[in-house]
Amino acid sequence: MHHSLVAMLRHVNPRVFYAVTNALIIPPCLLFSPSRGIAYRYFRERHHLSRRKAAWATYRNHCLFGQVVIDRFAMYAGRKFDIEIEGYDHFQRLAELPEGFIQLSAHVGNYELAGYSLKAEQKRFNALVFAGEKQSVMEGRQQMFQGNNLRMIPIRSDMGHLFDISQALSDGETVSMPADRIFGSDKAVTVNFLGVKARLPQGPFRVATMRGLDVIAVNVMKTAPQRYKIYVSPLEYDKQAPRREQVTQIATLYAHELQRVITLHPLQWYNYYEFWNQ
Amino acid sequence: MDQLINELKTQLIEALNLEDVTPEDIDAQAPLFGADGLGLDSIDALEIIMLLEKNYGIRLANAAEGKTIFTSIANIADYVAKNRKK
Repeated sequence: MHHSLVAMLRHVNPRVFYAVTNALIIPPCLLFSPSRGIAYRYFRERHHLSRRKAAWATYRNHCLFGQVVIDRFAMYAGRKFDIEIEGYDHFQRLAELPEGFIQLSAHVGNYELAGYSLKAEQKRFNALVFAGEKQSVMEGRQQMFQGNNLRMIPIRSDMGHLFDISQALSDGETVSMPADRIFGSDKAVTVNFLGVKARLPQGPFRVATMRGLDVIAVNVMKTAPQRYKIYVSPLEYDKQAPRREQVTQIATLYAHELQRVITLHPLQWYNYYEFWNQ
Repeated sequence: MDQLINELKTQLIEALNLEDVTPEDIDAQAPLFGADGLGLDSIDALEIIMLLEKNYGIRLANAAEGKTIFTSIANIADYVAKNRKK
């Protein structure tokens, strides 16, 4: 299935797939998927849209999610996107330092394009990813990112990923971690996000403060059918403060940045679970 | 060995921010992970990996090695005593 999709996207314009998805796949999905109610409540309660506007936003949100999935496969097929980067200098500065740094991501927009666009020739980029994805997806990624000095670290039950992270940071490499989902460890930091208290996983923030590493937030948002904008934002915290305070500081800065980006692109929120009750 | 065990307990309490826990409260033989012992989880394991590297110059290579060492504080102390570089 995935291989066929990649093969077709080499020859067929992704907009054709967008149209088919919007017209034939999303409507039945909306009928049966619990994501419909979750997205609807997100637009009603977090963005205060009217019922009619929230229903329309829910449909568009699912269409956009379908499009970013198609875009990933289009990328594996070798298609190029127009990329605008805000704050690239922050990434470049950290990429040139001998120390490693932490890059935080969220389930918004299309983060995978960051691996394609933010290149650090001297510093290997390690992306922590949830295990269990289809083999063809992992292969597609590996193939796509071969020239980008990038390694995927799947989260494993034997904690093997922890050793890979530790090793990478010891070697002055970059580690990218999702900072919006509580997974593996239940420990969380409570922050204000879109007007309500939300729990973010402690892990990524604790990893950064263990070694006093620099941290950037990276969000990749779709701005047109074939165009994306990457937002790179440094999260500067007081490295002399007690550890616990450092963790709170980064988490708060991260929540602010994620809120800024999602306020600009409210339709591209893809956490289809009870995020505010996780 | 007792001194090293106490040193490790103090470092763990600080690194893992274990509030209201003193070194005396921790049984050196108790399991670190799971409900029967200290109840640590994966992110705490990463703290221990980094603590061993930073304080004792020990770089653990893989999960299998970690699994045999991270069973209790006494076991970690035994490994540190044999492999420490500082």
